[in-house]
Amino acid sequence: MSARATLAATAAAVGVLAAMPWVLSDFLLSLTISCLMYAGLAVSWAMFSGPTHYLSLATAAFFGLGAYVTAWSHAALPWPVVVLGGGLVAASFAALVGAAVLHLRGAYFAVLTFGLGELVRHAITYFEKSYFRTVGRVLTTTPDGTTIYFTVLAVAGAAVAVAALVRASRFGLALAGIGGDEERAQTLGVATRRVKVAGFALSAFFPGAMGAAVSVRWTYIDPSAVFNPFIGFQTVLIAMVGGAATLGGPLASAVVFSLFTEFLRLRFPYVFLIVLGTLLIVLVLYLPGGLASLLDRRRAPAAEAARG
Amino acid sequence: MAEALLSARGVTVRFGGLVAVDGVDVDVRERELIGIIGPNGAGKTTFFHTLSGVLRPTTGRLTVRGHDLTGKPPHAFAIHGIARTFQTPRVFREMTAETNVRFGLEFAGRRRRHPHDAFDDARSILAFLNLADAADVPAGALTPARQRLLEIGMAFATRPDVLLLDEVAAGLTERELEATADLIRRVRDELGVAVVWIEHAVRALMGVVERVIVLHQGKKIADGPPATVARDPAVMEAYLGGEGGAT
Repeated sequence: MSARATLAATAAAVGVLAAMPWVLSDFLLSLTISCLMYAGLAVSWAMFSGPTHYLSLATAAFFGLGAYVTAWSHAALPWPVVVLGGGLVAASFAALVGAAVLHLRGAYFAVLTFGLGELVRHAITYFEKSYFRTVGRVLTTTPDGTTIYFTVLAVAGAAVAVAALVRASRFGLALAGIGGDEERAQTLGVATRRVKVAGFALSAFFPGAMGAAVSVRWTYIDPSAVFNPFIGFQTVLIAMVGGAATLGGPLASAVVFSLFTEFLRLRFPYVFLIVLGTLLIVLVLYLPGGLASLLDRRRAPAAEAARG
Repeated sequence: MAEALLSARGVTVRFGGLVAVDGVDVDVRERELIGIIGPNGAGKTTFFHTLSGVLRPTTGRLTVRGHDLTGKPPHAFAIHGIARTFQTPRVFREMTAETNVRFGLEFAGRRRRHPHDAFDDARSILAFLNLADAADVPAGALTPARQRLLEIGMAFATRPDVLLLDEVAAGLTERELEATADLIRRVRDELGVAVVWIEHAVRALMGVVERVIVLHQGKKIADGPPATVARDPAVMEAYLGGEGGAT
């Protein structure tokens, strides 16, 4: 799909989803929020890690930072500013950290970004304890459910739109070149360091904004809840299962996964993590390109036939 | 004499106690066709890495048209018109051949101009290299020989003044070798790009280049026309390892 077609499809989908608060029950609406949240997280993760193959486990850190921006500022600032602020704080943090660690690759980068989440979590715990003498925070003046839904929808929609634009741009080509052969890309004129930091920061904006947007659903937040590594793992898992190199893959897989985990959690609360883990192993072993590669495999012979 | 396009002064590279390149001076001028030869371990590839910014020399200076690029990252060299290939072809395997070439045009090539229309777009570069039919094929699916050609195309796409070729003839058949030598001549004659060609297989190179630089144990031991260099006693000794070396 061309970038323009993807943008049109995204706009149409957002339009349809915008009607949902008047159509769906509260339970289904909250389920839709989960789907949208993971769609936004997975798509923005794949925006950077998909083309570059830099495996980031920092999603939880960005998400938690956004949540804490809300906790600190939601009573004083207008809601859109709070959400935007969550995104910007996460993006700035990613730019800062990225400049320091993006020369690492592979397992080192993955472990470091994971440690990042833990570092921020402990830093915030310490900060809250010593300055505010508190462990968690009760969010008092929160927006209503419909506003939250629209906010999450807007953040997810923006993530998909930006991902589509990046894919079609020079910037996206540079990211793909870095993933293909970083040094080669450099010798062809790409300022790889700058591109990586910018890409990492951009992909951190959306989890930050998402964390800021959804944290108000919980009314009470503490560091261990919002810096939950499970959010980071789940995001990576969704994107990889869907196919990190594609846009549609992570999107579709976010919806399926959110529904599936909800179903498992309700019906089989004790085995659901086991099932999830098994599924991941099977997929990584037998379908490393993700579910999207199944489609490609079907399409490839057709395309060849068309050419010949 | 015209101003040097690319100039290395006293370039030295040390890896721990080992001196891989030892105080080498080289000037590359407009439209020159230079070969760099030397026995295994002479420091040829290491020297090449410094010429393209991939490796920072321990000491020494690198200037491109008078700009000091010593210690600058490789993309700065590319933007200033220094392009290179690698010993084992390094193409973007998942991208099509056309996208591989477009890559160079989109980055270093974007801010540079070249008078010859062979450099206009990815299709004309592929056509120049006889790769037009491979445009839509993923680069990883091409034969090694064609990947090597494609890599030259990627380098062309940066619209360079100097093309650095690292052992492009290695592992080629006799016929492919001739085609490559022919291509290198055309690059200089038709496109006006200066070429610096490193080769282990000396015979192929000597027939093409106009100037040969010989590296031995990291030092430059000869620099001149092929006929003169071939008779140089120091060169013969380096290659044959004997005293005097003549047979």
